Amino acid sequence: MAVVGRGRNGPRWGDALRSGSLGTALLFLAPALVAVVILRIWPAGLALWQSLHEPAAAPGFANLGFGNYTYLLSDPVFIESLTTTFLFLIIVNPVQIGLALLLALAMDKALPAAGLWRTLMLLPVAVPQSVSAIILGVAFRPDGPVNALLATIGIPPQGFMTSTNQALITIIMIVSWVGVGYWMTFLLAGLRDIPPILYEAAEIDGANGWQRFWHVTLPQLRRTLTFVLVANTVANFLVFAPVQILTKGGPQGSTNLIMNEIYTRGFLSGDMSGAAAATVILVALVIVVVGIQFRMMTERAKS
Amino acid sequence: MKANSPWLRFTFVVACCIVVMLPLWWAAASALRPSDEVFRYLSPISIWTLIPREWTLSNFIALSQGPFARAMINSALVTTLTVVIGLVVCATAAFALAVLEYPGRSVIFAIMVVSFLIPFDSIAVPLSELFRSLELQNSYAGLILPGIGNGLAVFMLRQFFMAIPKELSEAAKIDGLGWGGIFLRIYLPLSRPALIGAGLILFVFQWQAYLWPLLIAPNPDYHVASVAIASFAGQYDVDYGQMFGGAVVTALLPMAILLIFQRYFIASLASSGSKE
Repeated sequence: MAVVGRGRNGPRWGDALRSGSLGTALLFLAPALVAVVILRIWPAGLALWQSLHEPAAAPGFANLGFGNYTYLLSDPVFIESLTTTFLFLIIVNPVQIGLALLLALAMDKALPAAGLWRTLMLLPVAVPQSVSAIILGVAFRPDGPVNALLATIGIPPQGFMTSTNQALITIIMIVSWVGVGYWMTFLLAGLRDIPPILYEAAEIDGANGWQRFWHVTLPQLRRTLTFVLVANTVANFLVFAPVQILTKGGPQGSTNLIMNEIYTRGFLSGDMSGAAAATVILVALVIVVVGIQFRMMTERAKS
Repeated sequence: MKANSPWLRFTFVVACCIVVMLPLWWAAASALRPSDEVFRYLSPISIWTLIPREWTLSNFIALSQGPFARAMINSALVTTLTVVIGLVVCATAAFALAVLEYPGRSVIFAIMVVSFLIPFDSIAVPLSELFRSLELQNSYAGLILPGIGNGLAVFMLRQFFMAIPKELSEAAKIDGLGWGGIFLRIYLPLSRPALIGAGLILFVFQWQAYLWPLLIAPNPDYHVASVAIASFAGQYDVDYGQMFGGAVVTALLPMAILLIFQRYFIASLASSGSKE
């Protein structure tokens, strides 16, 4: 995509000013530009400014400059929330995308009542995360129905959210309940776009099902898969409702994902400058991921 | 792997659907039984775990008389206004980015989409400070404003507008129609499916919002449904029947809307993601 000068045929500043098209365009763009500035750029800038200009909450750190960052990065609670977030991402992304891909593959070919199953899988997308957290939170209570179900097949009751080892996995199951159907929809659309002739050619060459998947489906689906991975990573960076409602980051910090850490720091501990520095770190991480995503979107638009 | 075992595929798909639907079913069943029976039919598990033995609407009646009713009205109001205002903001921007020609258009497009792609929740905490200093806490404006600009909706509408032949607007211009008229009389009527898709994106975003309403509207008078639901869980003495009742109501409305407009939602996802 040509970004600045649009070459000979593109409109010039002089022409645009004379014909008044620049004014018209600004008029149409104004509401969205105001929204972008006030709702995205300003708060991001505010967090950056605050993190550099307000003193750190703990003594012994520089008042200006990177004091908040050195304080944050030396705080074991914050470091643990970062490692927990990365652990969470490393597990949740493959689980969700793997299941979504399996489902999309299973639904891609003719299936009785195909529309019904696709709709059922997509429906939880409409359910607010706080609601799915409430419902599944009760389901995963030690005296709840999941343990009752496990008991019928002879598995002893599990601690789930009350256990330091199982709490993060439980949060992963709760967010995947919505996520899998959502990403399946993208992958299904991607599968439908693969020209059937490629499969026919592979079949003529004697490729078996696995080889067709490996040599036709996967390469053809690469863009969709990458998009889903990137978008899913961004979404999972920001998981908050199930943590805040169900575990508050516990037990023993085992589910303290970064959004919960920022919220706790800023609103419960009153460390706004630390929360601002943590926000800057989060936004920086997200911008890297979004940058990849945007590159892919514009590449797609080009092709 | 796929073709040779249709039964395996079918079983897998149906099993996934059951796993997805069971919690909702159980929540609905629990909402329809007396509150003290929510945990009663769990062990041993029987058909009565999933079907209320004694049916009652008492949970819903209690909800309609309590603060939850107010939260539902708030949610409906906030979401409706978000969709209406958001469509105006996003459609005008998309029009300016797809149809109007001026220098620097692609730069503005890049800035707009990239900034909107920064997920709202990641800057919610500093933004809530800004809103507080503008005295927007505990107000409908404070709840609605963050939902109106949506990069995905802008991107999707732009793609749709770009596919509309330029000849149409050129002909209209010769007939003396200005850009405003071209937008209102040609582009908007032709874009109904894209507008529905964008409306759904705005709707789902606002209906699901949790962190922002929690930060900006702590006053129960301004609670939206997603926050009111969570406050059940925080109560010392939880009324599980009412909690499930509220969860079911909060889940059903968007589900019904999604069911009706499903194909537009899927089309909007597809155009924003996998396809051009």
